[in-house]
Amino acid sequence: MILVGLVVTLLGFVVAVLSLTLHSVGAQLAVVLLGLAVSLFGIMGVLNRAYLKNAIWKKG
Amino acid sequence: MKTTSKKLFLVMIVALCVVPLGFAQAPAAAPAAAPAAAPAPAPKPITDADLASAPVPSADARAKGDPDGSLTGTASDVTVTDTKKGITIGDLANQAGQNKIAINFMWTLVTGFLVMFMQAGFAIVETGLCRAKNANHTMMMNFMVYGVGMFAYWLIGFAIQMGGVGAVANLGGTPPLNAEYAINLFGKPFGLFGQHGLFLMHKGTYDVSVMVLFLFQMVFMDTALTIVTGSAAERWKYAAFIISSFLMGAFTYPLFANWAWGGGWLATLGANFNLGKGYCDFAGSGVVHAVGGVTALALSMLIGPRIGKYDRTGKPNAILGHDIVLVLTGCFILAFGWFGFNPGSTLGASGNGSLRIGSVAVNTMLAGMAGGFGAMFYMWMRYGKPDASMSGNGLLAGLVAITAPSGFVNPVGSVIIGLIAGVLVCLSVEFVDRVLKVDDPVGAISVHGANGLWGVISVGLFADGKSNYGGSWNGVSGSVTGLFYGDNGGQLVAQLIGVVTLVGFVFTLSFVLNLLLDWIVGQRVAAKAELEGLDLPEMGALGYPEFELKS
Repeated sequence: MILVGLVVTLLGFVVAVLSLTLHSVGAQLAVVLLGLAVSLFGIMGVLNRAYLKNAIWKKG
Repeated sequence: MKTTSKKLFLVMIVALCVVPLGFAQAPAAAPAAAPAAAPAPAPKPITDADLASAPVPSADARAKGDPDGSLTGTASDVTVTDTKKGITIGDLANQAGQNKIAINFMWTLVTGFLVMFMQAGFAIVETGLCRAKNANHTMMMNFMVYGVGMFAYWLIGFAIQMGGVGAVANLGGTPPLNAEYAINLFGKPFGLFGQHGLFLMHKGTYDVSVMVLFLFQMVFMDTALTIVTGSAAERWKYAAFIISSFLMGAFTYPLFANWAWGGGWLATLGANFNLGKGYCDFAGSGVVHAVGGVTALALSMLIGPRIGKYDRTGKPNAILGHDIVLVLTGCFILAFGWFGFNPGSTLGASGNGSLRIGSVAVNTMLAGMAGGFGAMFYMWMRYGKPDASMSGNGLLAGLVAITAPSGFVNPVGSVIIGLIAGVLVCLSVEFVDRVLKVDDPVGAISVHGANGLWGVISVGLFADGKSNYGGSWNGVSGSVTGLFYGDNGGQLVAQLIGVVTLVGFVFTLSFVLNLLLDWIVGQRVAAKAELEGLDLPEMGALGYPEFELKS
């Protein structure tokens, strides 16, 4: 899951860079925001969740 | 008390929103009609002959001393190339050029010295927010990160960041820094990293202007590195800290800094893709603070929370710092150092719009004030007391947020940006602590990460189009202008691309480097050492040997 989280996080960055192929500022804004959402999901929804599964306080 | 503070807070918000709008909407007074002035006579060109008669104090007069300063600093102090010809216009022009560069060197060096002193502020803020049993360890990390980061940056980091920046006009051109490695993407060059400047000797970089630029950029890099020591405090293995900081100073920080400040692809989004003036980050909300903040998040997630931070149900426990006096004193030191951080980022006080340093300095202090207020009132309303450490973090959050826009916004924009930052830092600390369950003993992720990103975004909203640094920014003519001041949204898109780069790319790079390090040397100390406190197991000496400490 850690690897998946990292890939999803990086994917958001790739999506944002791909927005540069668009010509409308509105479309670029939408795609960049989508990229940001994907990256945040990768960090908070996948990567962090994977670490919380084995959190030190659960072992206590 | 709670209701009173709520009312006070609302009055402040209304005042901040309504009063400036009133000023903005007030019609400008028409200038009084002035009588037509007689045309001024055409200026008479001066010649070398005119200069020969320039008054110079006699040797006898100078020998008697100069108590009022009227005899010191005259034509006799201008360096003359040919003593037979005497002073010439060429001599004067050279002296004027050198004076301009000397002013800019002095400004950049002195502000760099101020930024260097911020390390002391970070050290005591972080140590004060940690427990006494970890004081030596936390101070040592903050102390040694200065040297570790500098070493990495001197070896390779500076070359990656600035090796292809091209001409820095305010510092005399920095001509040896002229090799940026770029790839071609979407039909445009994408600068990725610089190639000149290894060891400050490589390819002609043993150069006075390069040295000044190095010093200033080095202390910025060190600021980013010291952010991470706070979030990973009280459980980070010292050896791992050394290697992790080296990697960040050598690669992670310089890479993003190149893209934003070194002529890389983010800086050229305006020239290549017509997105405003490209990614604009005047003094480093993104480059310094968000890079530090997202790396802090990566490391804190990876390393895990301190023992006792969460109970078995995942409910967070407050682990209080040991010295609030240190914390608030450190915040003041940081606020003082920020006068180097932001105004110094003009890289000069003469030429290319550098006189805007006054505006930059005032914006900085206003945003810090607003951030402190925002956090204090938020905590007062929510918890019934004006929390001291969060008020300090609010001040820092305001300063972090204004760092990117400080050169592009007006005082009202600064106060709004700072006020939002002050509230945002409180919300973010709660979110990180309770929802993400990521342990950040000093709030670094929220202060520097969340507010660094907010500062970057705020440029795309609040830049008022009044700044003028030599007529262009990032190679695009005109002033940086945000959405609220008539831009079409292109500047905001450029800023958001920078934000996604920080969250998507820099976070991932930091995480992977630290994950590899975790596998190789291990990032976290043993549980026994953590419970005992890291001073003895890791450093071999207690921070406060004469005090009796409880675990």
